[in-house]
Amino acid sequence: MYQALLTRRYLTSKLMPLLAALAVVLCTAMVLVVWSVMGGFLGMLLDTGRLLVGDVEITRPVTGMPYYEELIERLEADPEIKAATATVEGLALMGLEDGRTMAVKVIGVDGKGYDAVTGYGDTLWWRHLDQPNKKDVSREDLRLQLEPGYEDAGLMLTENNPFTGEPVAAAVPGIEATGETSRQTGGWYQSAYTEGLGVTLRRSESGDRWVMQSDGREYVIDKLPFTIDQSITLSMLPISGRGAAIDVQVRKIPIANEFRTGLYEVDQGIVLVRMDLVQEMLKLDRAVRVADSFSSGVTTNDDGSESFAEPEIIGEEPARATSVLIKGAPGVTDQRVKERCVAIYAQFFEAHPFEVPSPGQVRIDKWDERPSVAHLIGAVKTETSLVLALFGFISLTAVFLVFAIFWAMVSEKTKDIGILRSVGASRSGVGMIFISYGLVIGLVGAVLGVALAFLIVHNINPIHEWIGQVTGRYVWDPKVYYFTVIPNKVVLWQAALILVGGAVFSVLGSILPAAKAANMDPVRALRFE
Amino acid sequence: MPILEARSLSRTYRLGKVDVPVLRDLSLSVAEGEWLAILGASGSGKSTLLHLLGGLDRPDRNRSNPQAGVYFDGAPLAGKSRRDLDRHRARDFGFVFQFYHLLPELTALQNVTVASMVRLGLGYAGRSREVRKVAEELLDRFGLSGRLGHRPAELSGGERQRVAIARALVNEPRVLLADEPTGNLDRATGQGILDTISDLHRDKRQTIVMVTHDPYVADRADRALRLVDGVLADNREESAPMTPVLQG
Ligand SMILES: Nc1ncnc2c1ncn2[C@@H]1O[C@H](COP(=O)(O)OP(=O)(O)O)[C@@H](O)[C@H]1O
Ligand SMILES: [Mg+2]
Repeated sequence: MYQALLTRRYLTSKLMPLLAALAVVLCTAMVLVVWSVMGGFLGMLLDTGRLLVGDVEITRPVTGMPYYEELIERLEADPEIKAATATVEGLALMGLEDGRTMAVKVIGVDGKGYDAVTGYGDTLWWRHLDQPNKKDVSREDLRLQLEPGYEDAGLMLTENNPFTGEPVAAAVPGIEATGETSRQTGGWYQSAYTEGLGVTLRRSESGDRWVMQSDGREYVIDKLPFTIDQSITLSMLPISGRGAAIDVQVRKIPIANEFRTGLYEVDQGIVLVRMDLVQEMLKLDRAVRVADSFSSGVTTNDDGSESFAEPEIIGEEPARATSVLIKGAPGVTDQRVKERCVAIYAQFFEAHPFEVPSPGQVRIDKWDERPSVAHLIGAVKTETSLVLALFGFISLTAVFLVFAIFWAMVSEKTKDIGILRSVGASRSGVGMIFISYGLVIGLVGAVLGVALAFLIVHNINPIHEWIGQVTGRYVWDPKVYYFTVIPNKVVLWQAALILVGGAVFSVLGSILPAAKAANMDPVRALRFE
Repeated sequence: MPILEARSLSRTYRLGKVDVPVLRDLSLSVAEGEWLAILGASGSGKSTLLHLLGGLDRPDRNRSNPQAGVYFDGAPLAGKSRRDLDRHRARDFGFVFQFYHLLPELTALQNVTVASMVRLGLGYAGRSREVRKVAEELLDRFGLSGRLGHRPAELSGGERQRVAIARALVNEPRVLLADEPTGNLDRATGQGILDTISDLHRDKRQTIVMVTHDPYVADRADRALRLVDGVLADNREESAPMTPVLQG
């Protein structure tokens, strides 16, 4: 009882312990803010990591798998599998209209099927917007000016040739791939070409041209200074079954749209192209097989003249895909889907023995087992625990602070301890004053700290915005971290854990001072000057 | 049977490598209801004796005399556990010190009730009103009814000592142990405190053991002993040549 009274009195009459409480406030708030933001970041990564890849992937790189349509049919016949689609992957050099060239990964996809498995359609960036997003008060987002159509072209990876009107295969690069679009703090994109020049764009009256406004002057332009009105040139090297390069295939391909998953690696390094075109460039399309003999190259005709023989067709080589992506039925775990894929692939192999790669020659991975994704998620997880461990370690200073302050307080309160012992307080009773004092300071500090963290995390975006405006530096640069918004959710169990942790740390810090108080000789304490 | 008894008490302090004997084979007996004064020069071991009597300190072990030690109601304190000694101090003894020894963060009233809190532990919760009433009555009796909410720093020396006496009495102890209760006060205030103690002794037959260096203070008691060279002597025999000792 007297412990409670003294704790309350000491709490309201001493400054130093309040500093200890403040230290606890700052430490708990700091750890919880970091945990919430980093954890939220990881969560967003996991959410976006699945985009464009489906749940499970069956891969045979470079040479690919024939009869993939049949494999897809077999897969889709399974009730635990919702959809499957084939893709063709290869490396390419991408040339831009301004002459820059870069290495990218090209994925040939069948737009509709790919969308069914991966939700690809939702990642298409250029589409008509009716309303600007909240931050875009001056309506700078170009999407407000676009009319419908870009979305369909993107989904089908097909555009009409402006001269002939014929549909042609088109490309959909990741939005960071060309470097021609520049992400704005508000979450929309500007042309890197006009960025910072205060240029606004709108449709011309006629609707087929653009009016560019800059410094009060207007220019009418035919093409947007944006990727979506441009073309890329892809150079790909088909590889023979024996691993030798055949001849370079070069195509100029119009850009139909751009996609954005939110994963920088993906958005920066991948270009989607209609699958038939990629198959053709990589020589994975359907082909006839001819007899491989020079002797039969020349035939003697009936009239005695000689001529080159028609190549003798001895068979047909079916088209190939390097991957099949699979989406599980709702409620089916990735692991289960993977098991089904393994079983179905085995049946598929039995149906085409030695025509298709053996089960040992293909990789069957869940989305998070894919080497590129697993690497990224692993890195973020490691970083999160590293940062948490570091900050947790820094929080140990709170323990030492409580310890130092309480140690000094026990000395200062020596006489009080002697007095209490003289009226009959036990050793442990006197020690408990300081333990309960530590507990109260820890609890008060932790509760305030968690409350502070809640406040900070919930308002982290406005705070960040404000700091950015004042200092001109955005710590969480959307251009770097990619996500437009900083994660702003506090997980309750994490808050609870930190609350308990703050109290425990303070009690830890008060244990030795409490022991010192308990072991004090009451007579010496009373004589203490 | 005496309420409090000391048999062959010795207490030696170690200063570095030197043993400093303060009490040597001291014996003493206090009857219930008696006011005993122990007179001694500064440094003669008065406080040491009082701490031993109140169970705050333990005497030297006496190998030759297993009966040596402090006895309360005929029972040896030496055999008691720490917990029992704590309880003893809370219930049966009330200490008053020269320098008041109040808790500076607590009000006058809280300084009194805190002794009850210590004695009752969690049981205090159910009896706080009752305790409060007792404490208020005590403070009222000592003329402090207007000072209940004051901190020690806001009280005069005499007022502080009265609060300390109230604290010592709040648990209705069998024995009041007073260590130079007037030693830090001017003579008039000291007389006031002595009057308070005297009333208490007269009205409630409170057993009091008071140590002091001041013969005038000792005169107020029923009986006075002198502590010289670690043993007690009857004061009457040698009181004539006694010169008043300076204050402090
Ligand atoms: N803890 C201690 N260590 C060493 N010497 C002590 C200690 N406490 C008291 N003394 C010595 O014991 C003697 C008696 O002290 P004390 O009982 O306070 O005397 P009094 O109360 O009569 O002035 C003094 O000489 C004092 O210096
Ligand atoms: Mg003394």
